[in-house]
Amino acid sequence: MSRRADEVDELWAAVADPTRRRLLDVLLAHGEATATTLAGELPVTRQAVAKHLAVLDRAGLVEGRRRGREVRYAVRPERLDAATRWMARVATDWDKRLAAIKRLAESTERERPSPKKTRPEGD
Amino acid sequence: MVPDRIEQEVLIDAPVEVVWAIVTEAEHVGAWFSDSAEIDLRPGGEASLTWEEHGTARARVEKVEPPHSFSFRWARPVGAEPRKGNSTLVEFSLSAEGEQTRLRVVESGFPELEGSEDEKAKYAAENTRGWNLELGDLREYVSKQVRESARR
Repeated sequence: MSRRADEVDELWAAVADPTRRRLLDVLLAHGEATATTLAGELPVTRQAVAKHLAVLDRAGLVEGRRRGREVRYAVRPERLDAATRWMARVATDWDKRLAAIKRLAESTERERPSPKKTRPEGD
Repeated sequence: MVPDRIEQEVLIDAPVEVVWAIVTEAEHVGAWFSDSAEIDLRPGGEASLTWEEHGTARARVEKVEPPHSFSFRWARPVGAEPRKGNSTLVEFSLSAEGEQTRLRVVESGFPELEGSEDEKAKYAAENTRGWNLELGDLREYVSKQVRESARR
């Protein structure tokens, strides 16, 4: 349980940081890139980029492949797929919630005495 | 790309005031959203959404403009104080269309992977297990990739 919670926390922390989110965007645009390339496109140093990449890597969001002397990083599409699936589920949840709101509102409305249907015997 | 917001709407055969009450009153929120709810219905007011199975999520009311606009920010994980980076914004807008009401909801501000947390909080244990298995598999996959590229 706690190990599971740790993994989840790690993912959470990885994507909660705006620089890392930006970094993921840039990486997605490039397909793959080195820390040096990424640093060139973001207002942070190469060292900072390397640190952020390490966090993303630990969270399973990016992977690095060594090409000769350099490491090229890429976003892991499986993780984005997982996120997409999750968003689909969030949408389904809202479908259900809106349907429940509709049911509740319409049944309340039916039970409510309507001004147009005031019974004639009422004074 | 992963969408960063969910937008949905529904047309309800009830006047806007009735829909407003269902959407904002704790008694009703505890029926359509969670198993029970508490809401301090004013901007900045605290709210809590409790699921018997999963625990209590905390939320903060942002906008209350009866009967047209209501929004709150709710946090994941369960129990956490809502703040930027751990919460999403849910915005309801209600508009009268004759005797009916169009209810629109937008949920936004998803960090790409907070889904893992949400699944833990909200979905069946089976789904949670599935997610964690998947995480395990991915980890294995990464270390395999790393080992292989180190060998090249």
